Amino acid sequence: MRVTFGSIFRNGVVDINRTAEELARRQREVSSGRRIHLPSDDPSAMATAMGERGEMAVLDQFTQTTDSVDSRLTVADTVYTDVLNRLTNVQTRAAGGRSTILSQTQRDALAGEIRGAASAILTAVNTSYRGMYLFSGGQSLTPPYTAGPPISPYQGDGNVQSVDVARDRSVQVTFDGGAILQGSAAADVFQTLEALATAVQTGNMAGIDQGLADVGQAFDRVTNAQTQIGIELARLPEDRARLVTQRQSADARRSHAEDANLAESIAAMSQADAAHRAALGSLASVGRQSLMDYLK
Amino acid sequence: MSGLFGMLSTTARSLESQRYGLDAAGQNIANINTPGYSRRVVDFGAVPPTSERLNAGNGVEVLGVRRLRDRFFDRRLFQENPAQHRETALAEALGVVESTLGSPNATLNARLNQFFDGFSGLAQAPTSSTARADVLAKGQALAGELRATDSRFQQAQLDADRRIRANVDEINSLANRLASLNDRIANSDDSGTMTLRDEQNEVVKTLSSYVDIETIDLPNGTVQVSFGRGKPLVIADVAYAVTVQNEPTTGFARLYSGVTDVTAAIGGGTVAGLIAARDVNIPGYRASLDTLAYEVVQQVNTLHDAGFTLGGVDAPPFFQPLATVAGAASQIALDPTVAANATLIAAGSVAATPGDNGTARGLAALRDARVLSGNSATFTGFYTDLVYGVGQDRAIAVSEGTIRGEVVQQIENLRDGVSGVSLDEEAASMMRFQRAYEASARFFTTINETLDVLMSLGR
Repeated sequence: MRVTFGSIFRNGVVDINRTAEELARRQREVSSGRRIHLPSDDPSAMATAMGERGEMAVLDQFTQTTDSVDSRLTVADTVYTDVLNRLTNVQTRAAGGRSTILSQTQRDALAGEIRGAASAILTAVNTSYRGMYLFSGGQSLTPPYTAGPPISPYQGDGNVQSVDVARDRSVQVTFDGGAILQGSAAADVFQTLEALATAVQTGNMAGIDQGLADVGQAFDRVTNAQTQIGIELARLPEDRARLVTQRQSADARRSHAEDANLAESIAAMSQADAAHRAALGSLASVGRQSLMDYLK
Repeated sequence: MSGLFGMLSTTARSLESQRYGLDAAGQNIANINTPGYSRRVVDFGAVPPTSERLNAGNGVEVLGVRRLRDRFFDRRLFQENPAQHRETALAEALGVVESTLGSPNATLNARLNQFFDGFSGLAQAPTSSTARADVLAKGQALAGELRATDSRFQQAQLDADRRIRANVDEINSLANRLASLNDRIANSDDSGTMTLRDEQNEVVKTLSSYVDIETIDLPNGTVQVSFGRGKPLVIADVAYAVTVQNEPTTGFARLYSGVTDVTAAIGGGTVAGLIAARDVNIPGYRASLDTLAYEVVQQVNTLHDAGFTLGGVDAPPFFQPLATVAGAASQIALDPTVAANATLIAAGSVAATPGDNGTARGLAALRDARVLSGNSATFTGFYTDLVYGVGQDRAIAVSEGTIRGEVVQQIENLRDGVSGVSLDEEAASMMRFQRAYEASARFFTTINETLDVLMSLGR
């Protein structure tokens, strides 16, 4: 076959363009650290990378929710601890009030301490987190109880709220203050404490015994509620660890799909550079060789 | 046997012939970079002897000059060229679409995820004004991105349409030029048409890069060209203009040959690639985007309508309701009352319960709901499929274009093997004719000296 000037240069230019394109592609891989810049670079890998990035976004959202839930449950746990401490203190004071040798002044003081505990419990259950009352169920803009005297009945509802910390797991983040501080009892804990304070103040032993029994029931309800929170709080680190592991896996899959293997890319860039130089050199060399050079 | 003076005439013819050969080599070298140029070769013939006995002959004469051309390779080139240019044009048009999709971490997918993140945040704090403002901002960002993506797709369609119109102008210009060349070739004697026929060949080749054509070579040297399944483009010295009419609904260019719409009949060349991008690929992407936008609106509004505002009353739709899927991506927008008042966002599913987050949780969970593609794809999965489709379509077009380009390159190499100019070959020809010219000149000198000797005999 005849090899002509035109075909030599056309083929040479095509080769130079091809090697230049490959060199530019590899250079961009190395400089950006990414193998894919456009969907057509590798459509399947692009789809994988987008899917994994979406999964990472979901996992990040669950992690953020988990952190928020952790903070919220920790606040609720602190409230329960505070309430239990107050109830324990009330039990101690009420038990002291059963003594028949107390003076009226001493009884008044004990009753005052019991009423003070009620006030502290009120403050505790009216705790809000980011502007939302934790113990009002679904009525998170309304405090569960309003200070008196007398302290109001429960103003929230039983519509407790949960949030999702994983696709298949949710955690309760608002609480039914009425169920905790009254439950199925005839009176809520504030009415109970007021009755107990009155019984202590008047030396009504039967009333003190009834009040202590009622406080004991309230103590059990709060303890149960705190136990539930404790269980959830204990699970949250596991949830977080699982989310971190899942995110790492998703990120590894994303990286495998879209990131460049730098060692491989640098080697390929060197190879492409050599090929490009060779293409340039060969065309320049072929262009120099001609029978014309030998004519005198 | 010719006399000495006859030999001088023979030598003069030889000198003239070798000079002619040198001239052809010079012409070939001069046109080495002229597109479409076919190398010329000079045909020599020995001048037969006269009737005298013992006459070796009367030297050499130039029988003619030929342009070397193989019509088979030309035809193959005219067949393959449209396919390469179709794929290249399609790849370029889809490249514009592809570049509008963004990188993996900056696509509509990110906006979708952020939108659902917003509801997830609202579920954590249903009464929070910040969380509500965040949902609004992310809803507006999602709607805006859908509209912007659709607008960029539409712009890519308009760009393709503009290029189609420009290509039609080029086709008509080339057809007119070819008709003029046909006219000049038909009305010139054969020896004067070589350059015109090279140009004619180049014009046909350029035409074949715009549309797939059929050619018929006629005995008088003219070329008849048709396109669009037999519609005439050039017959003899008449060019049949391709006209453009605007499609009534879209305003896009429809191509006509006479009164026949040939838009769908064009199967190759840049025009075919652009038509495919404008009428098939990009409308498909826009339809997918419309489906995505419509389902986002439907699914979000269905849940949102069933929820309750912060004030505890029935919520309005979150997005403005859409009547049809077609055009959904260009029309998606937040409901104006919701956009103006974030407390109207439904977080709760129970009336008069401001802390309820049932609706917000449901809306956040829509992220994983398989509500598209026959309930098999999530919103983000559906969009990923769209991006994959765009990437795959372009990758195939690029690959096809490369393969076709290599075929065209091979055919051009084969064609050059016949028609192309080789510098080495021309240098050899130059040497050959130069030596022959020198020898003839030397022979002339010898005869001249012989004549001098003859003349001196009489002194």
